[in-house]
Amino acid sequence: MASQRSLPSAPGGAGTRYRDLLLRGGPFIALVILCLFLSMATPHFATLDNMFNITRQSAFTAILAIGQTFVILTGGIDLSVAAVAALSACVTTVLLTTPITLFGYDFGILPAPLAIAIGLGVGCACGALNGWIIARFKIPDFIATLGTMTVLRGVALIVTDGLPVPSFQSMSSGAALPSALIQAGSGSVLGIPISAIIALIVALAGFYILRYRALGRAIFAVGGNREAARVAGIDIGRTKIMAYMISGLTAAIAGLIMVGRLNSANALMADGEELRSIAAVVIGGTNLFGGEGGVIGSLVGAVIIGVLNNGLNLLNVSPFWQRIVQGLVIVLVVIFDQWRRRKTAGGN
Amino acid sequence: MTATALHPSAAPTAGAPVLLRLESIEKTFVGVRALKGVSLELFAGEVQMLLGENGAGKSTLMKILAGEYQPTAGRIVVRGHEVAGLTPDSAKALGIGLIHQELSLVPALSVAENICLGRMPTNRFGQIDWKRAHELAAEAVGRLGVVIDPGAEVGRLQIAEQQLVEIARVLEWNPEILLLDEPTSALSDAERERLFAVIRRLKDRGVGMIYISHHLAEIPMIADRVTVLRDGSVVGTILPEEADEDRCIAMMVGRSLEDQFPKPVVAKGAPALEVAGLSAGRTLQDLSFTLHKGEILGIFGLMGAGQEEVAAALFGLQKSQGQIRINGQDRLIRTPADAIAQGLGLLTRDRRQSLVPMLTVGPNLSLPWLSNRSPWSALQHRREGEEVQRYIADLKIRPATTTTPVRFYSGGNQQKVILARWMSSGAGILVFDEPTRGIDVGAKADVFTLMGDLVQRGMSVLMISSELNELIGMADRVLVMRSGRVSAELGRHELSQEALLRHAS
Repeated sequence: MASQRSLPSAPGGAGTRYRDLLLRGGPFIALVILCLFLSMATPHFATLDNMFNITRQSAFTAILAIGQTFVILTGGIDLSVAAVAALSACVTTVLLTTPITLFGYDFGILPAPLAIAIGLGVGCACGALNGWIIARFKIPDFIATLGTMTVLRGVALIVTDGLPVPSFQSMSSGAALPSALIQAGSGSVLGIPISAIIALIVALAGFYILRYRALGRAIFAVGGNREAARVAGIDIGRTKIMAYMISGLTAAIAGLIMVGRLNSANALMADGEELRSIAAVVIGGTNLFGGEGGVIGSLVGAVIIGVLNNGLNLLNVSPFWQRIVQGLVIVLVVIFDQWRRRKTAGGN
Repeated sequence: MTATALHPSAAPTAGAPVLLRLESIEKTFVGVRALKGVSLELFAGEVQMLLGENGAGKSTLMKILAGEYQPTAGRIVVRGHEVAGLTPDSAKALGIGLIHQELSLVPALSVAENICLGRMPTNRFGQIDWKRAHELAAEAVGRLGVVIDPGAEVGRLQIAEQQLVEIARVLEWNPEILLLDEPTSALSDAERERLFAVIRRLKDRGVGMIYISHHLAEIPMIADRVTVLRDGSVVGTILPEEADEDRCIAMMVGRSLEDQFPKPVVAKGAPALEVAGLSAGRTLQDLSFTLHKGEILGIFGLMGAGQEEVAAALFGLQKSQGQIRINGQDRLIRTPADAIAQGLGLLTRDRRQSLVPMLTVGPNLSLPWLSNRSPWSALQHRREGEEVQRYIADLKIRPATTTTPVRFYSGGNQQKVILARWMSSGAGILVFDEPTRGIDVGAKADVFTLMGDLVQRGMSVLMISSELNELIGMADRVLVMRSGRVSAELGRHELSQEALLRHAS
């Protein structure tokens, strides 16, 4: 009958478990150490005001990073997130401040919920487009989203005529952004920034999908071994498209929050944020090649970037040096991550 | 454990210097102790054959010797000097060469570039001397008695040719200690014979070799001593005269393999799968057959006869034409999801094609449950937990944990995980595509036992194989394929190696 071979049945004892926790919880531990260091280095860091400040600043990156995590888990990468955020923001603000005439019908200025819904819809559609191009034409994710990133910035320029929205003209005619949007970007409840609360809700929703829904499992499978996912009957194209749609949706949410914070949108806003979101995902411990990781790590990654920014400002580090430090942190974190993976790699 | 301990027995090459000595080598990966105090000696000019089941630790041991892994404990002594902290470079400098089981060539580079990798010949101006590089490569390959175009891109070569390039490349360093990890797995008999000729020449030059193979028939051809590894420990070292098949297998699996093919008697039931005029890809032209409940139907063919595309065509992995009836109903299978919905299951030729390495047994087992379901449907965590526990117990999957990623499992245990997957997905028809490729003797017997259990439960098995013995041992009928079509159908009593080969060629 079957083999009698016995391999050790439990993976190590308590010692390995602690080490495992240390390795897995790496980003969180890094955050704690960073915070401890900064609280000692500057008295202004560990104040409630500053904490809320940081969360407000991190919210945008965090929300982008959560959608980005879905894409990276499938083994892809979404370079278009910042462009999608800008386009969604522009579309919504234009609809809120400019009367729309379409096919001879005068729609006037759209009600806020509809304009916001359309902005979110634009985000989803952009994501669907990314996913469709990648699945249909078998183009590398990097190339496809590099292309759409440029195209969507162009579309945003067309939508806004290259001007900030609301424009001086529309503002002088009494147009203003709805207070709900402003609140989402700059309001707070009991001192807690609403944008941070939204980021947390998005993260929990992302966690829920990845952990408890078929889509989440399919995303891990596709990123972990595409061929195995296919043999197990998983629709790879659909999984990819949905991951990109989620990324597009979170980008749109982030874009609208930024509008609320800046009280304005423009086609070139959030420049470079796509790379920052990728950095947050990687710092958060998600494998850049897919199949391993999660959104909570990305949330922590975004906060690490935020804390680092804030701390360097408080320490009066020149902005020139800030870039150098941030870049080094990203590389160091990935080096640590590689080392961690080697430690747990192996097999026969 | 050491039932047959005949520890380092008399060296056949008495008086030959010890090239390499391993003392109590330990290696622990997260969760798995792969090597538990392995000690062995390698003499100059000997071929020491290393046997062991998958997961016994052979490849790990080789990688430690090649500096690719660091041992957790133990000493490595090369020519009387202890070496610590071996790296791939220092191993090379010590004259240790490893011919990998998985090829370590760069597929996009040419044969010459691969062979000369890292030491391309240059002219006075530091430019690459391509003519010289091609000459060197042609010589290196020529020493193996074959002709391979040095300018050919390695990725386009056949697997056997790639294997020969790999061997040629390692031999170019003139290693004194040569580790061969299943070098003949992809070679034909003639190519293998040429490799053995090279090995004999290296022996005469005093090179010591550790040779890993699953082919017990190679022992009398090449081995000077045979060392058997089981569960990360050395069971014993014996001389080739003592190493008959029964003894080796008993040492490898810790029990005798009285019946390698436990073929149960099962009454043939109603037709489960009827295929008419199936064609796909370049080689499969026209295949028709009926598979009954409780039956094991074998499909045999030589390279390129079309049997390689049967599994992919049936499972919707590849475009195909033809009619498929399942349990008497016409069915259209265009995607794997369709196939799964119709109660088909596929054990792929390559296990890596079936498993997500970083996930644990649970998600790997339940993956097909997701097919044909909404992406927003809930995962069945509880059912997954229960079925994992049941199958780990039923199929004796080791390690019996639910937290270890499947990449840490041995080949045979990975195969069991895949089997458990299809059993849990409710498959009634299982397609085994080369079920024992790259699996050792003990795990083979496990797979065949399970195959027997499955048909006893009323399942049907389509067994596509190029191994004559296992077809003869397990199949109720065998379809022999030639140039994309069935050339003969042989009943169980008609099965013999000669008959199968005669109809195949």
